[in-house]
Amino acid sequence: MPHSHIVSSFDDDLNQLRGKIVEMAELVAKQFSDAEQALTKKDLKLATLVRETDLVVDQYEQDIEKSAIELIAIRSPLADDLREIISAIKISNALERIGDYAKNLSKRVVVLNETDNFEANTSVITQMIEIVNMMNQDVIEAYTNKASEKAISVWTRDIVVDNLYESLFRELLTYMMENPEYITPATHLLFVAKNIERAGDHLTNIAELIYYIVEGVPLEMVRPKGDNSSETNVEFTG
Amino acid sequence: MVNEVNILNVNEGSATDVDVREPKMKAKKVNVYYGDNHALRDIDLDINPNEVTALIGPSGCGKSTFLRCLNRMNDTIDICRVEGNILLDNQNINDKKIDVVQLRARVGMVFQKPNPFPKSIYDNIAYGPRIHGIANSKEELDEIVHSSLKKAGLWNEVHDRLDASGTSLSGGQQQRLCIARTIAIEPEVILMDEPCSALDPIATAIIEELIEDLKNRYAIVIVTHSMQQAARISQKTAFFHLGKLMEVGDTTTIFTNPTHEKTKDYITGRYG
Repeated sequence: MPHSHIVSSFDDDLNQLRGKIVEMAELVAKQFSDAEQALTKKDLKLATLVRETDLVVDQYEQDIEKSAIELIAIRSPLADDLREIISAIKISNALERIGDYAKNLSKRVVVLNETDNFEANTSVITQMIEIVNMMNQDVIEAYTNKASEKAISVWTRDIVVDNLYESLFRELLTYMMENPEYITPATHLLFVAKNIERAGDHLTNIAELIYYIVEGVPLEMVRPKGDNSSETNVEFTG
Repeated sequence: MVNEVNILNVNEGSATDVDVREPKMKAKKVNVYYGDNHALRDIDLDINPNEVTALIGPSGCGKSTFLRCLNRMNDTIDICRVEGNILLDNQNINDKKIDVVQLRARVGMVFQKPNPFPKSIYDNIAYGPRIHGIANSKEELDEIVHSSLKKAGLWNEVHDRLDASGTSLSGGQQQRLCIARTIAIEPEVILMDEPCSALDPIATAIIEELIEDLKNRYAIVIVTHSMQQAARISQKTAFFHLGKLMEVGDTTTIFTNPTHEKTKDYITGRYG
């Protein structure tokens, strides 16, 4: 652990900023588990709650940005302090995006609920959300303990989410080819999965930022990528 | 810790590892003693031309002592003993053959507190060129005074009162007068010991702007207690601690990602 600042109120300010980041990350994780519950249990009330809570997530982002800007203006931070404060702004931006994905996901829960001819297989979605939330938890731990190895472990885990997305993509594709009526609900489900996959990407960005805060240099390894769905071609016969 | 080895290479030891320019001055294994007090220990540091080198560190760390070694200001202190080599264009400045007056003409100094002579603005600047015999005529001397004032950014403010006393100027103007006086004798290196610590933010900004311009002609070494100032104006930063040079590297790296824990603690204001 680094030494304390001579001006102790600087440490207080930094701790407050860290606390807000952790709260925001926890809130976003809850957004995802709620959205998952809303999807699997067809709980529209919970879906609405997730959409409404997005405003709170947005407020966190604004508060964190404001605190970070004030810290820069008042404390003239340098070295690891500077890296941490600049990264706080970027981390809160990423968390806000993740919150947006949870919101978007909940919106589609409502639409999916209205289609009764397609019984969605949500087990892959559940699995994806569980992994993303585990990544989120580890990101919080890496951030709190300034543990760069932990951050790398999150960063490399994103490929699992990518692979799940890819497998679901192929599965839904076969449904859609089988029966055009499935196209609407399957597309919505695909968007749900894509939202989760994107959330995973943003968590890896946060992991990179944590690595930078701790080590002072960007993470320069090449991240394994699993989503090849953009390369998939389907021949149209009609 | 993936890139630690790389960082160490860039930041530790002499910056000559990454710099292809021939340094203007080189300090090699410099040790300074004040009586029994070992004030500087094995300092190796290169001063590059057309570059500002900032020396930072807590009070008593030896940064001013090191600065004073560079133009033999420590000669005046009886109990002071300097060991090791300090080279100016590869010539040892502590060599007995070196004329210390000539040395100080080549390596000028600006002090913390502006110290103009109690003479006119004109005479403050003409003093150096006169004793060094740089000007051959009144016209040449006028030209030196005018151009030095212009280079120091003071001309517009004083051109109509060159016979007014130097001490009648404001603090910031006095400091620029001292800089004009230093550059009037065409030095190669300018040493500055906290040149802005007695100045308000506006006068400080003007001096910093001037330093930025002066570095195009001279090598500049500045001692400063302001981290922000060091970060703003220097290209290379050297951190001294308890008489040792703990870390030297390009300024951006020192202030965003220093290698040594001591450097980090100092620049971020932590107990070390």
